Amino acid sequence: MKSCRKLIAANVIKRASFNLFPAVAALMLTGCWTPPNANVQPGGEPRLIQSGISVESIRERAMVQTIDASQRILNLKLSDGTPITCKVSQQVVGVDKIQAGDKIKVTLVEELAVYVLKDGILPGAAGTEKVILFIARVQSVDPSYRLLTLQYLNGQTEVFKTGLNAKLLEMQPGDAVVLQSAEAKAIHIEN
Amino acid sequence: MTNKKNRRPAALVTRVSITAGIATSLLPVMPVQAQLTPTEINDLRNTIGNRIETMTILGGDYGVGGGSYSSSAKGDNANINTTKFGGSGEVGAPQPLGDLDIGWQPRVQGSMGYLTANNKFQSGLLDDDTSKYKTFAIQFGGGARFWLNDHFSIAPTVMGMYGHTENNFTAGNTFSQDNLTEAKQLGLIDWSVDTWTIRPSLNLQYQYTWHRVIFTLSSEPTYFYTKSFDSSSANLNVEGNAEAWDNKLDVDAPLGVELFGHELRTGGYFSRTDLYGDLEDGLATSYVYEAHGRLVLDFLNQLWKVQWIGLGGSYLWGNDFHGWSVGADVTFRF
Repeated sequence: MKSCRKLIAANVIKRASFNLFPAVAALMLTGCWTPPNANVQPGGEPRLIQSGISVESIRERAMVQTIDASQRILNLKLSDGTPITCKVSQQVVGVDKIQAGDKIKVTLVEELAVYVLKDGILPGAAGTEKVILFIARVQSVDPSYRLLTLQYLNGQTEVFKTGLNAKLLEMQPGDAVVLQSAEAKAIHIEN
Repeated sequence: MTNKKNRRPAALVTRVSITAGIATSLLPVMPVQAQLTPTEINDLRNTIGNRIETMTILGGDYGVGGGSYSSSAKGDNANINTTKFGGSGEVGAPQPLGDLDIGWQPRVQGSMGYLTANNKFQSGLLDDDTSKYKTFAIQFGGGARFWLNDHFSIAPTVMGMYGHTENNFTAGNTFSQDNLTEAKQLGLIDWSVDTWTIRPSLNLQYQYTWHRVIFTLSSEPTYFYTKSFDSSSANLNVEGNAEAWDNKLDVDAPLGVELFGHELRTGGYFSRTDLYGDLEDGLATSYVYEAHGRLVLDFLNQLWKVQWIGLGGSYLWGNDFHGWSVGADVTFRF
């Protein structure tokens, strides 16, 4: 009976060893966890990674600063204080009812450009330098699910779902993000 | 966070499938019990206790997905159906744990399930008899996931579960009808029992993204302690221990093609779950393998907290059984 128990114990240990293998292997690779951080200098030479990246910003709260109904141009101040100029999509009706001072919720379709910059500067041809006015930095990238998390200059973060053509595998935390254009896809007047 | 992730639908389905074995082995004790010694009767009660414990786990544990299974083991037909709602996942993004280089997230797990088993005997002393089981169970708990680096994390959790199981026996032959009253008095048939279960567990997970493909290797030992607190028969009491150790490799790959505005993804997992204690006795197998495949649409950051919606299917096999399971695959990420 005693030897039988020993045999059972040996089998249990053998199975446990087999089961522990993945965990042990993983523990061997343990280093340190680092929280997402956008305020780092990305690796690689300063360059434009990609422009024309289309993303949708859902239902931002904003205040109308000025409006040109005939040209369908809106100047907005977002809830975080960021000023933004956008074109109003043709699918939005009743643009003429929007007035300066209105508080609105707006769905914006934006086009972004992502750069690797050094001190905010992009070296050009023949030794020239160009200052790039960026609005945010990349905080984290999930290339599998095409998620791009940006941290704006005021510290707020926003997660965007990018299109299939976005070169997310080339992007990394600290990359500079420039807003190229914005279009108001839907507007809801709150007041 | 991954909601587990509607995690382990496969491992769960596997166990669900095995419940057929439980049903087939539960009832043969009834007709012969009158000729048994008190010691043997006590052994049979312990066996029933193991089965109740196993059914409660199969019917209510969040790790076991809903599904149906049929078996003709031992020449008898048994059908098991489980309907279940539940899942698990981490809440929010990892936060620093004090001054340590460790990130942590709260983790919640919950499940509510209903299991029915129908066992029609077609041979021996129980020929033409039918035994039916119903189990309702509800489970909730949580813990935390700790990220030791960007890829490796551990998640200790504790859950509590309430279970209610009923047996209904229909005697179809003269022998069974003659012994029905005594078997009932002994608490071997036509019983109902309420149980509680405590379930500590430790999930170890290594996740790595290669290009756009996510590989997740996980190992999760789980302990179950079950005890009855109310029973229709003074002779029927349940108290037992069981362990399960699930090891799994999951692959999640985007296909680069959109359908209805959502990217198609495919993937699946291969797992082995080792069973110990009453689970091993109750299911009459010491391990279960599962191969799972899925085809889903990516909804992450597009529809509330939904990560994906699609279809999944599993093939399961153990010591002396095998089975299939197909169903909807919906995963959330909070």
